[in-house]
Amino acid sequence: MQLETILPVCSPAHKQSFVLCVVAMCRAVPINDLIYRASQQSDKLHALSTMLTQELGSEAFPIDRVLACHTSSLQTPTDKEQALQVSESDLLSLARSLLQAWSDPLEVLSSSTNVLPYSAQSTLSKTIQKMQEHSKDLKDGLDILSSKMGPAAQTITSLPFIQTNEIGQDKITKLLSCFRRDSHKIDSFLKVLRCRAANMQPQVC
Amino acid sequence: MMTKVGEVLLLLLLPAFVPHTDGTHYSLPGKPTELKCRSPEKETFTCWWKPGSDGGLPTTYALYYRKEGSDVVHECRDYHTAGKNSCFFNKNNTLIWVSYNITVVATNALGKTYSDPLDIDVVYIVQPHPPEKLEVTVMKDQGWPFLRVSWEPPRKADTRSGWITLIYELRVKLEDEESEWENHAAGQQKMFNIFSLRSGGTYLIQVRCKPDHGFWSEWSSTSYVKVPEYLHREKSVWILVLVFSAFILLLLTWLIHMNSHSLKHCMLPPVPGPKIKGFDKQLLKSGKSDEVFSALVVSDFPPTTSNYEDLLVEYLEVYMPEQQELMVDKGKDHDGCLKSIGLASDSDSGRGSCDSDNLLMDKSGAPKEEQQQQNQEGDQIGKETQGPKEAWEKEAMPCANEDVVSPDASSEKVKTWPSVFSPVTPYSPLDPHNSLEMHKQHCLSNTQFPPGSPSSDHYIKEALQSSYWEVCFNNNQPYPQTEVHPQLQAHSDRNISAVNDRNAPTGLLLPTRMTEYVEVQRVNEENKVLLHPIPSGHSREKACPWVGQRDDYSKVKGVDSDNGLLLQREVVEEESMEMAGAAESCYTSSIAFTTPKPTACSPVALPVQDERVLAVSGYVDTATVFSVHT
Repeated sequence: MQLETILPVCSPAHKQSFVLCVVAMCRAVPINDLIYRASQQSDKLHALSTMLTQELGSEAFPIDRVLACHTSSLQTPTDKEQALQVSESDLLSLARSLLQAWSDPLEVLSSSTNVLPYSAQSTLSKTIQKMQEHSKDLKDGLDILSSKMGPAAQTITSLPFIQTNEIGQDKITKLLSCFRRDSHKIDSFLKVLRCRAANMQPQVC
Repeated sequence: MMTKVGEVLLLLLLPAFVPHTDGTHYSLPGKPTELKCRSPEKETFTCWWKPGSDGGLPTTYALYYRKEGSDVVHECRDYHTAGKNSCFFNKNNTLIWVSYNITVVATNALGKTYSDPLDIDVVYIVQPHPPEKLEVTVMKDQGWPFLRVSWEPPRKADTRSGWITLIYELRVKLEDEESEWENHAAGQQKMFNIFSLRSGGTYLIQVRCKPDHGFWSEWSSTSYVKVPEYLHREKSVWILVLVFSAFILLLLTWLIHMNSHSLKHCMLPPVPGPKIKGFDKQLLKSGKSDEVFSALVVSDFPPTTSNYEDLLVEYLEVYMPEQQELMVDKGKDHDGCLKSIGLASDSDSGRGSCDSDNLLMDKSGAPKEEQQQQNQEGDQIGKETQGPKEAWEKEAMPCANEDVVSPDASSEKVKTWPSVFSPVTPYSPLDPHNSLEMHKQHCLSNTQFPPGSPSSDHYIKEALQSSYWEVCFNNNQPYPQTEVHPQLQAHSDRNISAVNDRNAPTGLLLPTRMTEYVEVQRVNEENKVLLHPIPSGHSREKACPWVGQRDDYSKVKGVDSDNGLLLQREVVEEESMEMAGAAESCYTSSIAFTTPKPTACSPVALPVQDERVLAVSGYVDTATVFSVHT
């Protein structure tokens, strides 16, 4: 009997997430723990991006009037009331979409560090690498989580990143600013989600 | 009438348009600075600025902002809620994840001055209010008090829904002037315990919070708490400890006092007094040096030459009968040291005993020559013993085993023990039996004599005080089995028993042809002398290493009834320095020591060959074993 028949929730498309999914299912990791763990990862991810912008100098990161991120087309809540009205599945879907949208740009960023002044290069490449790792971990965790939460959570909005041949320094700083914001969104959604889950420890929420 | 009123009005208004006579200059307002915005709960935010100079004229301030993605300029609607020089954005006007571009304008009669613009995103500027309802209580944990601190998040921060995540930190200080604040991170908890309090002290406690990605709040208001006294409990423990340790100390002192004598012995062992023959301590104490020194003059010291001859061993006979059983007489002296007959025993005679000298092996050309030379030996020995003795001692050094020396020294029986070599390492892998005898080993030097010697006899020479004797080995065949064994016979109180633990006693074989030098390897507890051939030219530092294929006379199999020393001969094929496999093909050779009879070891008995004998390294010094004189 194949595992897929036993655990139809887990999609065998990606081996690693499939394994994680199977493991999670078999071990019946409670959702609360999964969400908590995911929120920790997203917190770390955003902290890294904040640290990066601060180290490279805040003057390099003007928040433009029009911050045209490639993820701007995704509709996200703009205040607290809106945010608290979003369903859990939608929250998860938004988080996953944003996360997915950044896997390519991070790759491009990691290979473009030579554009920046030399002193910033090592910091940038190290931090971007860490961000990629956390991003990957988070993605796997959210995949498992979404499989437990129903079909609405499975939707991922595609936000393609059009890669130009060369990325200039201003483009890099713009990308980093966009990533800082998007990682904050992901973090916020997951933290709302974790307090939304039933039986959350009272000291956390 | 109307014109008069108009004139008055003009007059009144004139100063406004005419510069003052004192020189005040009106100007544009100064630029507003230090523009800062903060949001306490991620739902509203406030901006403050610092006004510049007013330019002498009444100045008004206005805040304008633009949102990201729109060119519409809005003006702040609430300048009052947050105080002077501020602008408050309420919930309806606050958007998150949207950047605002904010500018403050100062306006006076002369014109406007713009501040530097500020770009903000509300989610990055969160700074909450301090935590509220700080409570501190003193609680007891099995009599030991501790503080329990608890608080609430600031009223406006919505932590319940997860909109804001807060992290707390508290700090504690004694009411002393010199105390410093002690910070404690409390994570997301709203409660914290503080231990290790000073009895009777008063503590100050404050707490603050910070959002997960934002700024720290201000410290909350201070809470005071007084810790009750609990000193007596702590004190009683210390008193108990003190009393106990005092008691222990007394006990120790008493014990030391009782055993002071033996302790003194242990720590400061008595130094042996001088043991010069004829030296009288009492005389010395009495202070009459003449008498002391005259007492030292002993009639028989230094020994006159006439004594030499008496002590000389002229020769030892070694012959090898066809089949010789091992005659083993176990010596009484189980520490393996042989007594030298005729030598004065001296318990602390140093190295002269067991550890120093090799058994001198001399090979001579022809038996007859040896016989003739025997008589000459005596004189030569006398002269040469001193010189070569040191040489031998030196050679013996590397092989000497400390263990062997000590029993010698301690035993009053043994004085000059023929070279005690203890090549511990090489031997142990070879033969498990030998490990028992490690502590006493004799090396028989087995170095080749000057190559010119045709015969291959082994001699053991017994020297004077060092009591060497020559053992005659006849060693013509490298391989064991069935050799005629020369027997060395010696008269002695103690007998050397040969070691034959390796092979079944096949009799002591002594090869008849080759002259080899054997080191007395060791003497086991049964007074067995283990002889060990010394390869020629080998460095003596290696404890009697084996080189090539040699006959090994390392073991004395026994002493026969005629006081012959039966040596055990072994053939060693050396693969490596470790002598791993050397134990295998061994056969026993026997050496029988014979005293004064100059029987011929075929070749012959053992004359000493002058320098050659003495100069060669590796002597079996079994001098003490045999009483040369019958």
